[in-house]
Amino acid sequence: MKAEPQIQGAALAALRGVHKRYGETVALNGLDLEVRPGELLSVLGPNGAGKSTAIALMLGLQEPTSGEVRLFGRSPRDLAARRGVGVMMQEVMLPDALRVHDLIAMTSAYYPDPLTLAETLALAGVEKLGPRPYAKLSGGQKRQVQFALAICGRPRLLFLDEPTTGLDINARETMWAAVRGLVTGGASIVLTTHYIEEAEALADRVVVMAKGRQVAEGTVEEMRKIVVRKRVDCVTATALAVIEAWPEVSAAAQTGRQVSITTIDAEAVVRRLLGADPALSDLEVRRAGLSEAFAELTAEATPETNQEAA
Amino acid sequence: MTLAATNPVPAMSLKRLIGAYFSDAKYESLRLFRTPAFSMPILAMPILFYSFFGVILNGKAGAVFANQMFVGWTVYGVMGPGLFGFGILVAVERNQGLLTFKRALPMPTGSYLTSKLMMAYVFAIVVMIMLVTAGLTMGHVTLAGAQLFRLAAVMSLGVFPACAVGLFIGCYAPASSAAAFANIVYLGMAFLSGLFFPISGVLKTIQPIWPTYHLAQLARASAGLPSQGSMPQHIAILAVMTLALTFAAARKLARTG
Repeated sequence: MKAEPQIQGAALAALRGVHKRYGETVALNGLDLEVRPGELLSVLGPNGAGKSTAIALMLGLQEPTSGEVRLFGRSPRDLAARRGVGVMMQEVMLPDALRVHDLIAMTSAYYPDPLTLAETLALAGVEKLGPRPYAKLSGGQKRQVQFALAICGRPRLLFLDEPTTGLDINARETMWAAVRGLVTGGASIVLTTHYIEEAEALADRVVVMAKGRQVAEGTVEEMRKIVVRKRVDCVTATALAVIEAWPEVSAAAQTGRQVSITTIDAEAVVRRLLGADPALSDLEVRRAGLSEAFAELTAEATPETNQEAA
Repeated sequence: MTLAATNPVPAMSLKRLIGAYFSDAKYESLRLFRTPAFSMPILAMPILFYSFFGVILNGKAGAVFANQMFVGWTVYGVMGPGLFGFGILVAVERNQGLLTFKRALPMPTGSYLTSKLMMAYVFAIVVMIMLVTAGLTMGHVTLAGAQLFRLAAVMSLGVFPACAVGLFIGCYAPASSAAAFANIVYLGMAFLSGLFFPISGVLKTIQPIWPTYHLAQLARASAGLPSQGSMPQHIAILAVMTLALTFAAARKLARTG
């Protein structure tokens, strides 16, 4: 893949060489990230990777320890820049004595050219919730209303931080359809998620973060290759060094007598394992989870190779 | 790599900007009227206390006393919305992430605070209307229309120091104890500042630290009742207190959100 991605037009939001420390904790460690016009960028990564911190910086909620942050070419603290932005945060408390249409009206008032109340309700798929007090909604309905608040201002750039957590399948499909519609309409979207399926369903481009840095970047297809790796566990007498030398093995580790192997071709590895040691036991093959894929990426990534996707 | 120099976002018209301030004030007031834990004590306590101490217990104590009671409970009642509206809500909202969400949104600068200020006004007006109605119908209050009008003007200034004290508490007290701090300060402002009975001894020396002491003198003077000290001085002290507390709170708010 391209080492230096070509920029299509100017970035709507950008982080350049951003470090963010909280005391001893390093949340972002030299992150470069940009959001291009009309794209749906999905930011994947395990908890603590720095996804939410990156978003908080782009929204001007926090200042970087060092590095540059730009939103529509301005400081994110600039109100004029934030008028182009909609946001759905992971955890938010809204004034829950208000009804849904009150919340939408209150939020729409901050924007120069918002959707009408009816348009917002319809786009978010919450027409029936309008007159309900926010406090009386279920967790999933609250997420849907938060999505409505994110889109009501007709944002050019929409930040969705784990938007579908806690939603049932129908609600998730409705939200996905709305997100696709917004991208078709020319909006850019930054979506953080734990779910690879969500990125697969929506994203044009995927950035994988770990430990405050970008460890991989590419199309959904390229990212999928990382996640189709399988995990093979067994107890075997075969030496770890021998296993590591097999071409199908991308990584291997030993804990006590237990060997864990990561591979794209599990069948070939199992054949070799049984050939080398017919007495092996506790054989188990499973699809590597996203978090395992991320963990490997983190372990594999050195500062020099962090542009490589797979 | 070039960062976008242009802003594709349409400009906000002045009309919409002013509309945003009023919308915030409207929904801030609306949600608090709909929150009984807030609106019941703020609206009901002054009128209940006044009815009990000012009307029932002092029915035959004479016009001057009736007027003093009325003015005292008016000062008490008008201070409540600002003190609790800012004191408890700012502390809780800083903690809950509502403030974080609003700071991420293009909420106009200052709208968070002005919406609470306007909310405090709306509540203070309701409290004042209830007290005036009770005072004139049951409390033997003999203030003339002009005196009541001047009292209302003084009270409308009194909302500011109340909000400043509340804002200071809200910015420095942890969410879990902000209500306790606000209540203690409210009690001090009510009973140690001489709103209802004369203060003596050490408490008299520290009486001027309470904004309600200065506000009460202004209120009494405006209603034609005996008062202490110089009125310009009371106004100056209240202004300095308000600005100092607001400044200290705004610094904290800007630093930590």
